[in-house]
Amino acid sequence: MSFLDVAGAEKSFGAATVLGGIDLGVAQGEFVSLLGPSGCGKTTLLRIIAGLLAPDHGAVKLDGQDITRLPPHRRDVGVVFQNYALFPHLTVAENVAFGLRARRRGASETREAVTRFLDLVHLSELADRSVRALSGGQQQRVAVARALAVRPKLLLLDEPFSALDRKLRETMQIDLRRLLRELGTTSVFVTHDQDEALTMSDRIAVMNRGAIEQLDTPEAIYRRPATAFALEFVGLSTRLAGKIVASQAGQVTVDTAFGRLLAPASFVVGAPVLLAVRPERIKVEPEGAYALKARLRDAVFQGSKVQLHFETPDGDQLMAETSDLPHGLPSPGSEMKLGWAVTDTLIYPAP
Amino acid sequence: MKAWRDPVALLAVPAVAYLLLLYALPLAWLLAKSIIGPGGLTVQPYLDFFADPFNWRVVWNTLSVAFWVTVACLLVGYPAAFALARAGAALQIAMLVAIILPLSVGVVVKAFAWQIVLRRDGVVSQILVALQVWDEPQRLLFSEAGLVLGAANIFLPFMILPIYSVVKLIDPRLLEAGATLGATPLYRFARIMVPLTLPGVVSGVAFVFSMSVSMYVVPSLLIGDRFQTLSTLTGRSFLFMRNEQLGSTTAVILLALAVSVVVASGWLARRLGSRT
Repeated sequence: MSFLDVAGAEKSFGAATVLGGIDLGVAQGEFVSLLGPSGCGKTTLLRIIAGLLAPDHGAVKLDGQDITRLPPHRRDVGVVFQNYALFPHLTVAENVAFGLRARRRGASETREAVTRFLDLVHLSELADRSVRALSGGQQQRVAVARALAVRPKLLLLDEPFSALDRKLRETMQIDLRRLLRELGTTSVFVTHDQDEALTMSDRIAVMNRGAIEQLDTPEAIYRRPATAFALEFVGLSTRLAGKIVASQAGQVTVDTAFGRLLAPASFVVGAPVLLAVRPERIKVEPEGAYALKARLRDAVFQGSKVQLHFETPDGDQLMAETSDLPHGLPSPGSEMKLGWAVTDTLIYPAP
Repeated sequence: MKAWRDPVALLAVPAVAYLLLLYALPLAWLLAKSIIGPGGLTVQPYLDFFADPFNWRVVWNTLSVAFWVTVACLLVGYPAAFALARAGAALQIAMLVAIILPLSVGVVVKAFAWQIVLRRDGVVSQILVALQVWDEPQRLLFSEAGLVLGAANIFLPFMILPIYSVVKLIDPRLLEAGATLGATPLYRFARIMVPLTLPGVVSGVAFVFSMSVSMYVVPSLLIGDRFQTLSTLTGRSFLFMRNEQLGSTTAVILLALAVSVVVASGWLARRLGSRT
């Protein structure tokens, strides 16, 4: 029994089904991301958990209590909104105090909590400023402090970094993660940014078209994507269309545009498949055996590594990443040998 | 750069010239009329005015009717402004038309219409009898209640529109944020909606109060001569009594009252607003 337990949550708007029966369990103190493209239902799921939207079917339980029919103000679920939704008529400190005052906490308790949480987000000096005078990053921190000051059982974050520039976003991701871990706050985080999800999460739920395609640790999602969608959405990969020509003892032979390749799976012979390999698992110019030869189209220097893109037929993608190029950057057009372990080969039914 | 050196300020010249010539000058002339007697400067007209208990009654009539009209417009207009701001596109257009179109009907026409509505056998009387609020039909016409009812109807758009324009700009997520912080619907309304809509309420109140404190045609038609307000008294002084000094005195008092009430309510609202 999880701390947060969403069971069979369904939601349609008119004829459009936005959520098709979602199950999600989050353990106490865990940080789970809902990752998916816009329109995948992640924000709808978040609003259902917060009580801002009623599901058509299904139940939401928090800390053993069924909260499906409870209005948002009685749920003890905090939300950091995408646009922060700070109260423009209040100062920074008054924004943070809002929830405590609404819950009729004592004046001294409120003051202490406001001081503590403003301190935690490093905004003590700005306590008496109007929130309208703050930068985007500062507003975001006020929103976090405001949501956390009432010590909710669960914190929901709806793309809280999307309006910030990249550099600021990265430091704030680490700061927020540390803060939530110190407080032991159970959190559900909505994002369409895979890097953000990989950096921050204990587990990631990859969502697509109103369903969770995979719920697992960031590492497992990256190394073993459960579906072609998860593969595509999280990280880069080589993707080759092919057809099974032989299958025996848990290993298949796939006919691709680059010849026959092996993969660990069981498929019916003749089935169309998608064969994939993560770019850093591919060895460039390996000693001895190799999987295929390809003509280099582009070499992209990225500092610590070099990304190599190879010429492929339409629809396929062949790429490798390496930090080890003894002969310097190869020139486009040169033919290179590529190899990888059979166990690193991912294979999915053709989408 | 100083404001007067900014060439953009020149754009205000036509408006300033117009107001100066056709509004400020006559106003100054009016003020002068009230304080210049045969023997030079005098405050005698004001002393005379306030020495007469009938005139105190007139000031009271003016302020109380304006107050009740403003209260009625606020009570009806505030929720209406929310309904308008949160309505779907088609409904919103229909509602806006319903609010704005009546403004094109002259006040005189509307006041005459209200005469019919407020009669002993009028719609209001019939409804109240049918609802058994009243035992028998009564005449609302030529009563203060009838005047407030009719005037509130005529000035209602000037309460709804400023509040609507403020509500429309309020992010609905602010209320959701309040809810997720544990605030009950009532607390959210009092601590989020009210302070944020206050600027709209202040301008709506200023509009309706200043219009109803100075209305002339509506009381003339709905309540008649036995109920005098500062503006009907001003009108009578100029038109029937040919007493320009009394007329200008009452006009200046009316102006001073209206301005001070509007300024005071704005100041009060800002103080309340900054304290929440």
